[in-house]
Amino acid sequence: MPLIDILNTDIIDLEVQGTTKDEVLHYMANVLLKNGYINDVDVFVKDIYEREAEGPTGMGSHLSIPHGKSNAVLRNGIMIGKTVNPIRWESSMSDDGYQDTHLIFLFCVSADKEFARNHMMLLSELAGKLGNDVRVTKLSQAQSKEEILNLILCEDEELGEVDKVLNEEEIVDLDIDF
Amino acid sequence: MKIVAITACTAGIAHTYIVAEKLQKAAEELGYDIKVETQGSAGIENELTAEDIGNADVVLYTHDIAIRGANRFKGKKIVDVPISVAMKQPKSLLSTIEKKLAAKQ
Repeated sequence: MPLIDILNTDIIDLEVQGTTKDEVLHYMANVLLKNGYINDVDVFVKDIYEREAEGPTGMGSHLSIPHGKSNAVLRNGIMIGKTVNPIRWESSMSDDGYQDTHLIFLFCVSADKEFARNHMMLLSELAGKLGNDVRVTKLSQAQSKEEILNLILCEDEELGEVDKVLNEEEIVDLDIDF
Repeated sequence: MKIVAITACTAGIAHTYIVAEKLQKAAEELGYDIKVETQGSAGIENELTAEDIGNADVVLYTHDIAIRGANRFKGKKIVDVPISVAMKQPKSLLSTIEKKLAAKQ
Protein backbone atom coordinates (compact mmCIF):
# COMPACT_ATOMS: atom_id res chain seq x y z
CA MET A 1 0.00 0.00 0.00
CA PRO A 2 1.33 3.44 -0.82
CA LEU A 3 1.70 6.05 1.90
CA ILE A 4 -1.07 8.23 0.45
CA ASP A 5 -3.62 5.56 1.48
CA ILE A 6 -3.27 6.58 5.11
CA LEU A 7 -3.67 10.30 4.34
CA ASN A 8 -7.03 11.96 3.89
CA THR A 9 -7.63 15.66 3.22
CA ASP A 10 -10.94 15.45 5.13
CA ILE A 11 -8.90 15.13 8.32
CA ILE A 12 -6.46 17.90 7.53
CA ASP A 13 -7.64 21.15 9.11
CA LEU A 14 -5.78 24.42 8.57
CA GLU A 15 -7.75 26.37 11.17
CA VAL A 16 -7.78 24.35 14.35
CA GLN A 17 -9.54 26.41 17.01
CA GLY A 18 -8.52 26.67 20.64
CA THR A 19 -5.93 28.27 22.87
CA THR A 20 -4.89 25.29 24.99
CA LYS A 21 -3.66 21.78 24.32
CA ASP A 22 -6.89 20.39 25.77
CA GLU A 23 -9.06 22.55 23.51
CA VAL A 24 -7.21 21.68 20.32
CA LEU A 25 -7.13 17.95 21.15
CA HIS A 26 -10.89 17.97 21.66
CA TYR A 27 -11.42 20.01 18.49
CA MET A 28 -9.33 17.56 16.47
CA ALA A 29 -10.94 14.51 18.07
CA ASN A 30 -14.31 15.91 17.00
CA VAL A 31 -13.11 16.10 13.40
CA LEU A 32 -12.06 12.44 13.67
CA LEU A 33 -15.49 11.58 15.10
CA LYS A 34 -17.32 13.35 12.26
CA ASN A 35 -15.25 11.51 9.69
CA GLY A 36 -15.85 8.07 11.19
CA TYR A 37 -12.34 7.47 12.56
CA ILE A 38 -13.37 7.24 16.20
CA ASN A 39 -16.63 6.58 18.06
CA ASP A 40 -15.99 8.45 21.31
CA VAL A 41 -14.17 11.77 21.75
CA ASP A 42 -13.69 11.53 25.52
CA VAL A 43 -12.32 7.98 25.46
CA PHE A 44 -9.98 8.83 22.60
CA VAL A 45 -8.66 12.02 24.23
CA LYS A 46 -8.18 10.19 27.54
CA ASP A 47 -6.04 7.56 25.77
CA ILE A 48 -4.00 10.30 24.07
CA TYR A 49 -3.35 11.85 27.50
CA GLU A 50 -2.24 8.49 28.82
CA ARG A 51 0.61 8.49 26.32
CA GLU A 52 1.27 12.20 26.92
CA ALA A 53 1.87 11.39 30.59
CA GLU A 54 4.78 9.11 29.64
CA GLY A 55 6.84 11.76 27.90
CA PRO A 56 6.73 14.89 25.76
CA THR A 57 5.38 14.75 22.21
CA GLY A 58 6.55 18.19 21.11
CA MET A 59 9.38 17.60 18.66
CA GLY A 60 10.60 21.12 17.95
CA SER A 61 9.95 23.31 14.89
CA HIS A 62 6.48 24.06 16.35
CA LEU A 63 5.37 20.49 15.62
CA SER A 64 3.70 18.09 18.06
CA ILE A 65 2.87 14.45 17.51
CA PRO A 66 0.33 13.31 20.12
CA HIS A 67 -0.44 9.63 19.72
CA GLY A 68 -1.69 6.63 21.57
CA LYS A 69 -3.69 3.51 21.10
CA SER A 70 -7.39 3.66 21.79
CA ASN A 71 -10.37 1.35 21.81
CA ALA A 72 -12.39 4.27 20.47
CA VAL A 73 -10.57 4.06 17.13
CA LEU A 74 -12.56 2.58 14.22
CA ARG A 75 -10.04 3.32 11.51
CA ASN A 76 -6.31 4.03 11.72
CA GLY A 77 -5.23 7.38 10.34
CA ILE A 78 -3.54 10.66 10.97
CA MET A 79 -5.22 13.97 11.61
CA ILE A 80 -3.12 16.97 10.66
CA GLY A 81 -4.01 20.32 12.15
CA LYS A 82 -2.59 23.80 11.87
CA THR A 83 -3.59 25.77 14.94
CA VAL A 84 -4.92 29.31 14.80
CA ASN A 85 -3.15 30.11 18.08
CA PRO A 86 0.25 29.03 19.42
CA ILE A 87 -0.31 26.12 21.83
CA ARG A 88 1.96 25.55 24.83
CA TRP A 89 3.11 21.93 24.58
CA GLU A 90 5.55 19.69 26.47
CA SER A 91 8.66 19.31 24.36
CA SER A 92 11.68 17.02 24.29
CA MET A 93 13.63 19.62 22.34
CA SER A 94 13.73 22.72 24.52
CA ASP A 95 15.52 23.37 27.79
CA ASP A 96 12.48 24.60 29.72
CA GLY A 97 10.50 21.55 28.56
CA TYR A 98 7.91 23.47 26.54
CA GLN A 99 7.44 24.70 22.99
CA ASP A 100 4.88 26.76 21.07
CA THR A 101 3.06 24.37 18.76
CA HIS A 102 1.46 25.44 15.49
CA LEU A 103 1.21 22.12 13.70
CA ILE A 104 -0.17 18.89 15.12
CA PHE A 105 0.07 15.38 13.72
CA LEU A 106 -2.48 13.44 15.77
CA PHE A 107 -1.97 9.71 15.30
CA CYS A 108 -5.24 7.80 15.47
CA VAL A 109 -4.39 4.17 16.20
CA SER A 110 -6.56 1.24 17.26
CA ALA A 111 -5.63 -0.55 20.48
CA ASP A 112 -6.38 -3.84 18.73
CA LYS A 113 -2.96 -5.27 17.85
CA GLU A 114 -4.03 -7.26 14.81
CA PHE A 115 -6.19 -4.47 13.49
CA ALA A 116 -5.13 -3.05 10.13
CA ARG A 117 -1.48 -4.01 10.40
CA ASN A 118 -0.97 -2.59 6.92
CA HIS A 119 -2.02 0.79 8.19
CA MET A 120 0.34 0.49 11.13
CA MET A 121 3.21 0.00 8.69
CA LEU A 122 2.16 3.13 6.82
CA LEU A 123 1.92 5.14 10.03
CA SER A 124 5.41 4.02 11.01
CA GLU A 125 6.67 5.00 7.56
CA LEU A 126 5.03 8.39 8.00
CA ALA A 127 6.57 8.81 11.46
CA GLY A 128 9.97 8.02 9.96
CA LYS A 129 9.51 10.88 7.52
CA LEU A 130 9.31 13.22 10.51
CA GLY A 131 12.86 12.22 11.43
CA ASN A 132 14.03 14.60 8.70
CA ASP A 133 14.57 18.09 10.13
CA VAL A 134 14.29 19.80 6.76
CA ARG A 135 10.88 18.23 6.16
CA VAL A 136 9.68 19.16 9.65
CA THR A 137 10.84 22.77 9.24
CA LYS A 138 9.08 23.04 5.87
CA LEU A 139 5.90 21.41 7.21
CA SER A 140 5.72 23.97 9.97
CA GLN A 141 5.72 26.72 7.33
CA ALA A 142 3.25 25.04 4.93
CA GLN A 143 0.13 27.05 4.09
CA SER A 144 -2.11 24.60 2.21
CA LYS A 145 -3.32 21.00 2.44
CA GLU A 146 -1.67 20.27 -0.86
CA GLU A 147 1.66 21.61 0.34
CA ILE A 148 1.44 19.47 3.49
CA LEU A 149 0.63 16.33 1.48
CA ASN A 150 3.46 16.97 -0.97
CA LEU A 151 5.97 17.48 1.84
CA ILE A 152 4.94 14.20 3.45
CA LEU A 153 4.92 12.19 0.25
CA CYS A 154 8.08 13.52 -1.42
CA GLU A 155 11.42 11.77 -1.12
CA ASP A 156 14.11 13.28 1.12
CA GLU A 157 16.14 14.26 -1.94
CA GLU A 158 13.30 16.44 -3.24
CA LEU A 159 13.09 18.51 -0.08
CA GLY A 160 15.88 20.93 -0.89
CA GLU A 161 17.39 23.16 1.75
CA VAL A 162 16.08 25.36 4.51
CA ASP A 163 17.38 28.77 5.53
CA LYS A 164 17.45 27.88 9.17
CA VAL A 165 20.68 26.31 10.34
CA LEU A 166 19.88 23.35 12.50
CA ASN A 167 22.47 23.37 15.22
CA GLU A 168 22.85 20.79 17.88
CA GLU A 169 24.48 21.30 21.21
CA GLU A 170 27.32 19.01 22.22
CA ILE A 171 26.56 16.23 24.62
CA VAL A 172 28.95 16.66 27.50
CA ASP A 173 27.41 14.54 30.18
CA LEU A 174 26.72 11.35 28.24
CA ASP A 175 27.86 8.48 30.39
CA ILE A 176 29.13 5.69 28.21
CA ASP A 177 30.68 2.71 29.82
CA PHE A 178 32.26 0.03 27.70
CA MET B 1 32.67 3.25 12.88
CA LYS B 2 30.06 0.55 12.37
CA ILE B 3 27.01 0.87 14.55
CA VAL B 4 23.99 -1.35 15.07
CA ALA B 5 21.12 0.32 16.89
CA ILE B 6 17.73 -0.54 18.29
CA THR B 7 14.92 1.95 18.86
CA ALA B 8 11.93 1.19 21.09
CA CYS B 9 9.55 3.73 22.62
CA THR B 10 6.59 3.30 24.98
CA ALA B 11 3.70 3.46 22.49
CA GLY B 12 5.75 2.15 19.57
CA ILE B 13 3.97 4.46 17.19
CA ALA B 14 6.04 7.56 16.60
CA HIS B 15 9.39 8.05 18.36
CA THR B 16 10.70 4.58 17.50
CA TYR B 17 10.52 5.45 13.82
CA ILE B 18 11.43 9.13 14.02
CA VAL B 19 14.58 8.37 15.99
CA ALA B 20 15.53 5.53 13.63
CA GLU B 21 15.44 8.03 10.78
CA LYS B 22 17.35 10.66 12.75
CA LEU B 23 20.11 8.18 13.59
CA GLN B 24 20.31 7.13 9.96
CA LYS B 25 20.62 10.75 8.81
CA ALA B 26 23.16 11.64 11.49
CA ALA B 27 25.31 8.61 10.62
CA GLU B 28 25.21 9.48 6.91
CA GLU B 29 26.34 13.02 7.63
CA LEU B 30 29.14 11.90 9.90
CA GLY B 31 30.26 9.12 7.59
CA TYR B 32 29.45 6.22 9.90
CA ASP B 33 27.90 2.93 8.93
CA ILE B 34 24.63 2.22 10.75
CA LYS B 35 21.78 -0.26 10.74
CA VAL B 36 18.76 0.48 12.90
CA GLU B 37 16.26 -2.14 14.04
CA THR B 38 12.88 -0.72 15.06
CA GLN B 39 10.85 -2.48 17.73
CA GLY B 40 7.42 -0.86 17.58
CA SER B 41 3.75 -1.40 16.91
CA ALA B 42 4.49 -2.58 13.38
CA GLY B 43 6.59 -5.38 14.91
CA ILE B 44 10.35 -5.80 14.56
CA GLU B 45 11.58 -4.25 11.31
CA ASN B 46 14.99 -4.13 9.71
CA GLU B 47 16.05 -6.91 12.08
CA LEU B 48 19.75 -7.09 12.89
CA THR B 49 21.40 -10.29 11.71
CA ALA B 50 24.17 -12.16 13.50
CA GLU B 51 26.50 -10.85 10.80
CA ASP B 52 25.43 -7.21 11.35
CA ILE B 53 26.05 -7.61 15.05
CA GLY B 54 29.34 -9.43 14.57
CA ASN B 55 30.69 -6.67 12.34
CA ALA B 56 29.57 -3.80 14.55
CA ASP B 57 32.01 -1.77 16.65
CA VAL B 58 29.27 -0.74 18.98
CA VAL B 59 25.63 -1.47 19.83
CA LEU B 60 23.35 1.48 20.57
CA TYR B 61 20.13 1.04 22.53
CA THR B 62 17.84 4.07 22.26
CA HIS B 63 14.80 3.10 24.24
CA ASP B 64 12.20 3.79 26.93
CA ILE B 65 11.00 0.18 27.21
CA ALA B 66 12.83 -3.15 27.42
CA ILE B 67 14.77 -4.21 24.32
CA ARG B 68 13.68 -7.49 22.79
CA GLY B 69 16.43 -10.01 22.05
CA ALA B 70 19.13 -8.28 24.10
CA ASN B 71 20.94 -11.63 24.48
CA ARG B 72 22.06 -11.23 20.85
CA PHE B 73 24.55 -8.59 21.98
CA LYS B 74 26.45 -10.52 24.62
CA GLY B 75 30.10 -9.49 24.69
CA LYS B 76 29.56 -6.37 22.54
CA LYS B 77 30.23 -2.80 23.58
CA ILE B 78 26.83 -1.37 24.42
CA VAL B 79 25.69 2.23 24.74
CA ASP B 80 22.34 2.66 26.43
CA VAL B 81 20.40 5.95 26.23
CA PRO B 82 16.78 7.07 26.51
CA ILE B 83 14.94 7.87 23.27
CA SER B 84 14.94 11.59 24.13
CA VAL B 85 18.74 11.87 23.80
CA ALA B 86 18.72 10.54 20.24
CA MET B 87 15.65 12.63 19.46
CA LYS B 88 17.32 15.86 20.51
CA GLN B 89 21.00 15.32 19.71
CA PRO B 90 21.45 12.43 17.25
CA LYS B 91 24.69 13.73 15.77
CA SER B 92 26.30 14.63 19.09
CA LEU B 93 25.33 11.22 20.39
CA LEU B 94 27.09 9.38 17.57
CA SER B 95 30.18 11.59 17.57
CA THR B 96 30.50 11.26 21.34
CA ILE B 97 30.32 7.48 21.02
CA GLU B 98 33.09 7.55 18.46
CA LYS B 99 35.31 9.72 20.67
CA LYS B 100 34.81 7.37 23.60
CA LEU B 101 35.50 4.34 21.43
CA ALA B 102 38.71 5.89 20.11
CA ALA B 103 39.83 6.77 23.63
CA LYS B 104 39.38 3.15 24.67
CA GLN B 105 41.50 1.71 21.91
